[in-house]
Amino acid sequence: MMIKEVITVILLLVGCFFFLAGTLGVLRFPDLFSRLHALTKADNLGLGFIAAGMALHIASPWAALKIISIWLFTLLASSTTCYLIARFQKEQDQPKNGKEPG
Amino acid sequence: MSVLIDLLLAILTVYLALQCLLAQRLSQSVFLFFAFGLALALAWVRLGAVDVAITEAAIAAGFMGVLFLDALRDFSPAVSENQEDLKAVQNPPSKNATKSLLLPRLALGLGLGLFLLIALEAVWKTPDGGGLTAAAVALLPESGVEHPVTAVLLNFRAYDTWLEIGVILLGLLAIYAAGGINLYRKPGVAAKDPLLRQVILFSTPVLFLFGAFLLYFGKTGPGGAFQAAVLWGAIGIMLHLGGWPVFAVLPRWLGQLILTLGLGFFLVLGFLFMARGDALFEYPPAYAGILILIVETLAAISIAAALTTIYANINQMQEEPKQNESTT
Repeated sequence: MMIKEVITVILLLVGCFFFLAGTLGVLRFPDLFSRLHALTKADNLGLGFIAAGMALHIASPWAALKIISIWLFTLLASSTTCYLIARFQKEQDQPKNGKEPG
Repeated sequence: MSVLIDLLLAILTVYLALQCLLAQRLSQSVFLFFAFGLALALAWVRLGAVDVAITEAAIAAGFMGVLFLDALRDFSPAVSENQEDLKAVQNPPSKNATKSLLLPRLALGLGLGLFLLIALEAVWKTPDGGGLTAAAVALLPESGVEHPVTAVLLNFRAYDTWLEIGVILLGLLAIYAAGGINLYRKPGVAAKDPLLRQVILFSTPVLFLFGAFLLYFGKTGPGGAFQAAVLWGAIGIMLHLGGWPVFAVLPRWLGQLILTLGLGFFLVLGFLFMARGDALFEYPPAYAGILILIVETLAAISIAAALTTIYANINQMQEEPKQNESTT
């Protein structure tokens, strides 16, 4: 029982760390592509850790399955969005360069 | 600890609302509106109103957000070739304009202040026993459902819900009035991206299933027609964007039938039992459960169709001037 709670807390903390790192990346990275990278990759990893922590904490298999599926759908949505935004930006960049605001 | 979370959430919601109003660029406003909708949904969850939270997230943040994004695209520099239009939209009005805006602003400020006072008074007067919750729960066995919110929405106060469905249809009629009656327009620019199309195809059955789950789950817990309708409407909008205009292939009368089905059936049902001497929208308790499920399903289909059609029409209306341009 005790070990489970410790693991939950560790998972949640690791998830928060990745979220923090992702947010820092969005704020500090210079251009759209690296920002997208920070936002989609780090945040999804953070969400995965938090989902794992919550699934462990809830301990009911159905609720855990729902939480994991939330994570999977977020993964699908955010990776697709990331790809679409990046593609749009790439098409924008081709005619004239240096349009990206700081 | 929970007080701290609530406090943070309250501050965040107000801050996001202010930022949304004060943002310099239109795109910032739109994305802050998304964030504001999500914060508001979280606030509703914290208040224990999960039904409202789902509706807020789905309709206010989701559907309105899609409409805003669509409007934003028409103003974005990538699409709009008319730079002066763009400047007029993005820059705050000039000094001359501010002077003429003084009166409307004053009126708006006074109105909002009055509204705030009324809201404060309503909060002040909230009874300790939770208002009419006890009365609704006491009558729950007669309503045919097990969730008090659904019982109130579709049985005790069915008239209000019926009007809400009517309001959505009225919105659609207004759009027809502005853009010319065309039941469902084909998308001018369909997404050509293979990945996007695959993802849309993949999410269609998932969204449908989830909407059906929310619809049926409304009997026992938070969920119901409106929440399901937004998810089904989302299917329609995504298919529209992906180049499969589902409603365009239907004959005109069938589309109109689907749009009015929910409102019409609800109304007929409401008056049907008046013939037996019951009140308007009073169902016999024995059949109430199944009747409510049918009403909710038809209403969800109608609302979903209305939302899809609203999006399709608005999406098209602003695209028409650029139609002769090359469609990429």
